[in-house]
Amino acid sequence: MSVLEADKVSKTFEMEKNKIPVLDNVSFSVGNDEFVCLVGPSGCGKSTMLRIIAGLEKADSGTVKFHGEPITKPNSKIAMVFQLFGLLPWKTSLENVELPLEVLDIDKEERTRTAQEYLEMVELKGFENTYPHDLSGGMKQRVGIARALALKPEVLLMDEPFSSLDELTAKTLRELVLDIWRDPDLPTNTFIMVSHNVEEAVFMADRVIVMTARPGRIIGDVKVDIPRPRRSHMREAKYFELVDKIVELLEIGKKNQH
Amino acid sequence: MREYAVNLIVGLVILCVMSWLIVTFVAYPEIKNLPLYTFATVSRIIITLLVSVVWGLSFGILAATNRLASLIVTPFIDLLQSIPILGYFPIVIGFLFALGPLGIEFSVIILLFTSMAWAIFFGVLGAVSGIPANVAEASKAFGLSGWRYIRHVVLPAITPAVISGANLAWCDGWFFMIAAEYIQYEGRVVPPPSGGLGYLLARAAYYYKDMNLSVILLLFITFIVVYFNILTWHRLMDKVSTGTFKPVFKVDLSGVGKLGVTRMNGWLHLRHRWPKSVFAVSQRLRKYSRIEMIIAVILALFMVFLVLRSEGHHIPTLDTVMKGFNEPPSEELSKLPILISLTMMRLVVAYGISLMVAIGLGIMAVEHRRLAVIIYPFYDIGQGVPILALFPVLFLGLNQLLGAPRIALEFTCIIMLVLDMIWYMFINILSAVKNIPAELKEVGQLFGLKGYKRLKHLVIPYILPAIVTGSVLSWGTGWNTIIFAEYMPSTEPGVPSLSVPGIGSLLDTAGYEYGNTVILFLLLGVIAAIVLFMEGAIWRRLLRKFEKYHVEV
Repeated sequence: MSVLEADKVSKTFEMEKNKIPVLDNVSFSVGNDEFVCLVGPSGCGKSTMLRIIAGLEKADSGTVKFHGEPITKPNSKIAMVFQLFGLLPWKTSLENVELPLEVLDIDKEERTRTAQEYLEMVELKGFENTYPHDLSGGMKQRVGIARALALKPEVLLMDEPFSSLDELTAKTLRELVLDIWRDPDLPTNTFIMVSHNVEEAVFMADRVIVMTARPGRIIGDVKVDIPRPRRSHMREAKYFELVDKIVELLEIGKKNQH
Repeated sequence: MREYAVNLIVGLVILCVMSWLIVTFVAYPEIKNLPLYTFATVSRIIITLLVSVVWGLSFGILAATNRLASLIVTPFIDLLQSIPILGYFPIVIGFLFALGPLGIEFSVIILLFTSMAWAIFFGVLGAVSGIPANVAEASKAFGLSGWRYIRHVVLPAITPAVISGANLAWCDGWFFMIAAEYIQYEGRVVPPPSGGLGYLLARAAYYYKDMNLSVILLLFITFIVVYFNILTWHRLMDKVSTGTFKPVFKVDLSGVGKLGVTRMNGWLHLRHRWPKSVFAVSQRLRKYSRIEMIIAVILALFMVFLVLRSEGHHIPTLDTVMKGFNEPPSEELSKLPILISLTMMRLVVAYGISLMVAIGLGIMAVEHRRLAVIIYPFYDIGQGVPILALFPVLFLGLNQLLGAPRIALEFTCIIMLVLDMIWYMFINILSAVKNIPAELKEVGQLFGLKGYKRLKHLVIPYILPAIVTGSVLSWGTGWNTIIFAEYMPSTEPGVPSLSVPGIGSLLDTAGYEYGNTVILFLLLGVIAAIVLFMEGAIWRRLLRKFEKYHVEV
């Protein structure tokens, strides 16, 4: 049973007088409990695709359905984690996590409790009253993740969530995200991540959807059948075969560009 | 180029027709000189502009590239910049009488220069210091040095700043023209021999007290300013913003990929008053070390000393200073605390109005495209009107309406202050709202922040630093303007001039009526102290507090 279904989605941006097609007939579906990764060269429209799913952008043609209903505006069941964290600098960690709950009119006590709980889950206990300015990049992204999860969404969208972090921090956060995905107590269990890091995609996802250069089309949908936890399988031939396969698809996708 | 020539000719023809109409139908004797006066004022401003550009370029580059020069020049120029035009009168008066008619012309240009030059200097300074270290290092590594470094790196980097600075100087020139062309000394008006539009307008308003003529002249002046703005400056600024002049390393991130925003951006760039706002404020609030301040103060004292000396033709002794304190209007000094409070009240009222209106308009102009179409042209013309020239006209109109000169002057004063203060608030708020990072906007959208909640959690906190920057600037310009706005000079001998009580009008009385340099400088010092105190006690603190609101992109 699929949770999300993208059907022939196309999108063109207009800049000055130029029309720039970014998505061309993109169709795919994501099942419950699935971890899907969209990879592609920069500018291929993968972030735009994510924004259409989030209800932040509208497709020119085609639809994205969530449990069979077309998505037209942001929905608290679909949350998002941003590349540059998207934290409000004038709010503390706690206030940042509380904000979306306030919009949903949850009362003060309840939202503080929820926010604290999720900050604790991302291992930020003790940093509730710290401003983003005084947090490291990794900690900021933890706040971003807590904020998204506090809404108790079904789907978590992540737009290159680790690309502005150093590799060591990224590694830790990847594990944290995978732990959250696997946690049976959390309602959030369908993950879609945009990345341009092939190894990261193979390490994390059940399926890797490969897109061509602009305008983005799907050139491959690669199932990653490596057992989890994958940390111990990262030196195996299977892992490298999959990485090579995806890199090859990306190369073909680049050549298709006129 | 052809289009430009055609537009220029069209503009000149319209001007000729307008001046012909005015000359034919207005009866006052001076009016027949209108074409000559127009020519005189325009040439004066162009000459001063050229001088300012050359001066700003050389000193700006010098101060930005030479550590020792910057230590002395920058704070000193910042100090000069903060002195209102009236503070330069005593210096100019020396020339005035030494060189005859030519001396008066020279004085007017000096006065204009003191209000036009600074923006270009600070623009250049900021742009040169803004050259990224890696670009500077790379060019040095490839052997670029001396003139070649300036030619290939510095000049391309500063062109946009020079153009926007020159545009600002041009507007400031028109703003202060009326003050510069209407020099008064010991209650007597000293007109420039070749006349000028500012002189003519002041004459129409103060001497003939003719409302219709004043309005006609004001429209005439506004037409020249706005037409020139559209014809020349907008084109140049367009080139700057669309990249013709843009140095490679300056990446404009605003509005990329977002519908037609890029176009709107280009259009908005034209009206920026930013060089002054960004650089002057950051310079003043953040950069100075104590040593630099001390050097500046010593230089300033030296300057005061020279002025007092040149004027009195002898070294100022304690006696001369004491004499100044005993001559009129020294008896008013005991009321100084009350006068300061009254002036402060006017400024606070005007600031409050400016703040509210600017926040409202600034947010609406960005968030509602349709309103923007209405707001921008108003902004364009509003910025083009030389507000100081509006002063006599506004007063005449209100006085006719109310029949009470003092109340009319009080209202005129506050309206003048609002009109003057609001631009800085507006442009700072506007560019801040425009620059809210796309990601933050998406966060707001994603979490359903709308209307009031969106303002409270997202927009207002983001623009707070811009509000502070705008406030510093608008208070600065407000103090400058209030010196003119509290005082209505009289042109007939024996008739006392009209004023509302305040430190500004006291300063005018000291300067214009009594030529009492000692009290003039004392009051300028008091004003400077108040401005500095407010910067330290309020603005600097707020800015530091809001610093962590800065969003890294």
